[in-house]
Amino acid sequence: MSLPKLARLPSARLLTSVLPHHQLLLPPLSPLTIPCRTKIQQDYRRPGQPIQKEPPLNFNFSKGIKNIKKHFMLMKDEFFGRFVGPQGKPLIEHILEQNLVIWEFRGPESLKQWTVSSDQEIGGQSEAHLKMGRNVNTCFLHGKLCTTTPRDGETRYSGYCNMRSKIPKASFDRKKHYDWTSFNTLHLRVRGDGRPWMINIATETYFSHQKDDIYTYFLYTRGGPYWQEVKIPFSKFFLSHRGRIQDDQHPIWLDKVNTIGFTLGDKAEGHFQLEVDFVAVCKDYAHTEEFAYEMYERNPKN
Amino acid sequence: MKCARCLLQLQGLRLQGLQLQGLQLQGLQGQSARSAAQHGALLQSSSQPHMLRNTQHQVIRRFHRSPINDKNQPIPAEFIDEDDNKKDKSLVIHDDLFEQVARETKTKATFNKVVEVFIKQDVRRRGHVEFIYAALQKMPEFGVERDLAVYNKLLDVFPKEVFVPRNYIQTMFNHYPRQQECGVYLLEQMEGYGIMPNVDTKVLLIQVFGVKGHAVRKYQRIMYWFPKFKHTNPYPIPKNLPEDPVDLARFSLARIADDRDAKVTVYQLACTDITESGEEITLPHVVGIQSPSQMELLAQHNPSRPVFVEGPFPLWLRDKCVYYYVLRADPVPPEEKVEEPYDPERSLAYPLQLDLDLDRDLGDEESFDVEDLDEGAVFAMCMTSQGDQAVLNQWVSGLQQNNPILGRVPTLFRLEQGPRELQGAHKTKSDHQHRQDPQTQREEEEEEEASVEEELRRSQGMKQ
Repeated sequence: MSLPKLARLPSARLLTSVLPHHQLLLPPLSPLTIPCRTKIQQDYRRPGQPIQKEPPLNFNFSKGIKNIKKHFMLMKDEFFGRFVGPQGKPLIEHILEQNLVIWEFRGPESLKQWTVSSDQEIGGQSEAHLKMGRNVNTCFLHGKLCTTTPRDGETRYSGYCNMRSKIPKASFDRKKHYDWTSFNTLHLRVRGDGRPWMINIATETYFSHQKDDIYTYFLYTRGGPYWQEVKIPFSKFFLSHRGRIQDDQHPIWLDKVNTIGFTLGDKAEGHFQLEVDFVAVCKDYAHTEEFAYEMYERNPKN
Repeated sequence: MKCARCLLQLQGLRLQGLQLQGLQLQGLQGQSARSAAQHGALLQSSSQPHMLRNTQHQVIRRFHRSPINDKNQPIPAEFIDEDDNKKDKSLVIHDDLFEQVARETKTKATFNKVVEVFIKQDVRRRGHVEFIYAALQKMPEFGVERDLAVYNKLLDVFPKEVFVPRNYIQTMFNHYPRQQECGVYLLEQMEGYGIMPNVDTKVLLIQVFGVKGHAVRKYQRIMYWFPKFKHTNPYPIPKNLPEDPVDLARFSLARIADDRDAKVTVYQLACTDITESGEEITLPHVVGIQSPSQMELLAQHNPSRPVFVEGPFPLWLRDKCVYYYVLRADPVPPEEKVEEPYDPERSLAYPLQLDLDLDRDLGDEESFDVEDLDEGAVFAMCMTSQGDQAVLNQWVSGLQQNNPILGRVPTLFRLEQGPRELQGAHKTKSDHQHRQDPQTQREEEEEEEASVEEELRRSQGMKQ
């Protein structure tokens, strides 16, 4: 069943890398792949609630012109970047790079790559705000955690705050992913207040029921005035779906990473803060582990 | 292995029970018959005639039957006790049971008593799912939410072997979904409080739901993941935090200092004094920490630039929040920075600077392409129960004994609202955004105050 579909829907990235001259044909193809992303990017919808119809488009001429300009600029960069090397970098740099800073916070513009959410979307009372740090070189996530559950009779837990990066987009709103296959460690520089956080990495999935699959690990902060360098190997990330660890684990596939997120939900009511300097990936030669959890079948079918 | 042995032991016990009673019953029914007989005996001692009659009848009823059969069976009139009937119709009966007990005392003993009363009420354990939900909800009130024995006791409320699927079709489908959900709910609450189940839990779950029930699966998952994540925290916090605020301050300061050479100093212990005029003065505790490297940094500080006392900053230790204050300086402007070469004779055993040109591979670059953050040095940290300027002044003057440069450096206070306001007040969005601005304004105001402040502090320092 799924095979013909797969053949008909090659991922945009694959296509562009194989057939660069098909670039101009891509925009008509893109609507086939877009719905998945819009599903991910829309607001939280409580299970069982009807899907809200999108409001009618309101046309704005100047905005349209601006967008067209932006997309054509992006397309130009993509097209000519290919002559420089893969992903617009010289080949030698692309092959030899050992570490790569993915997100850093320099100026308020960089905050636009992130979204903040809290349990207010399910009816809770937590708050989360994002702003620049004191010296405009870091991002400062702060707010208040409140574990009071909404009084709807079915929600049992509440109290989370969340910061998530936006999905990168290529020209004409096509999907674009981070490819971290040549790295094995996530490197962060953070300063927290002693609370434990979670780091969530969401990768591109094919089926719609996998869209909430995220790979998770813990980020423990020490607190205090000093910065903290955290290195987390990707082999330690485990698969979870809507907050539940899955039985069937596998190592994270790093070739199509969509977003990274920080989640707080430690059941301690009160104010919290987390300062992030940068998020990077690096290659740690001392780390050889492929996956930290057992891969054998733990549930024999007898 | 262990579990299987336990099961065998239990079976053996049950058989013994049967033999003792001398009743010819099937193995499946043995448990209920035995317990009924026991309860009969127990209740006899407590002299409750109508209950006794009930249990006696139930002992005679032999065969294990499903509840569906029970519904169809007309109940003999003599079995129905009027009072019992009324009670059973009420939905909140179990909450009531807990509420009645709760009027007196809320302890583990009373909680266990309620569970025992419920177990003795009815051999068939009518309404046990509702009872367990009610009990789980009441657990934090009774202070037993972290007690494994109590959870095991609650699991014991489930009637045994009734919900065990008997063939593979039942196993495949959701057999007795309400009961299984309840079992999973109980395990989830344990999980939420971070309590690891033990073998007793497993034996009980297998007895109640069979080896492949959802609850047993949940148990297996907990047992797989809990030990994995038990020691992941590189900055562990003890289970019971020290009660004494000074000890707590010691612990938290050592945690945030991240330097084993750092020395904790208690500048002042909390005490209550009565002055001559009869007023009561409560002195807060002041505990500070400073490492040798911080002292070195402070000694190199340019005396014409001020140092700042900032705070309070929050620090969370599990679900407790403490506040600390920091003595720091603004970043040194680039024109004043002096690159000091390492003194090669400072440490002969371990040279502090290595300039080896090792044969590295092409592109072996391990530093990140990020500008270094320069936030200014931190010179010392302290914790106190009362964070006003007078108390922090005492801390700074205490620091001055080891750092004479503080006598020449102007000290400014950049204090935000006290911890109490921080905890209590509901801050709105706009409040957060504007917080930065008044701070800078206050700085300028404090600049003027600083000279007065400093003199005050010096005079205090002289007295000591």
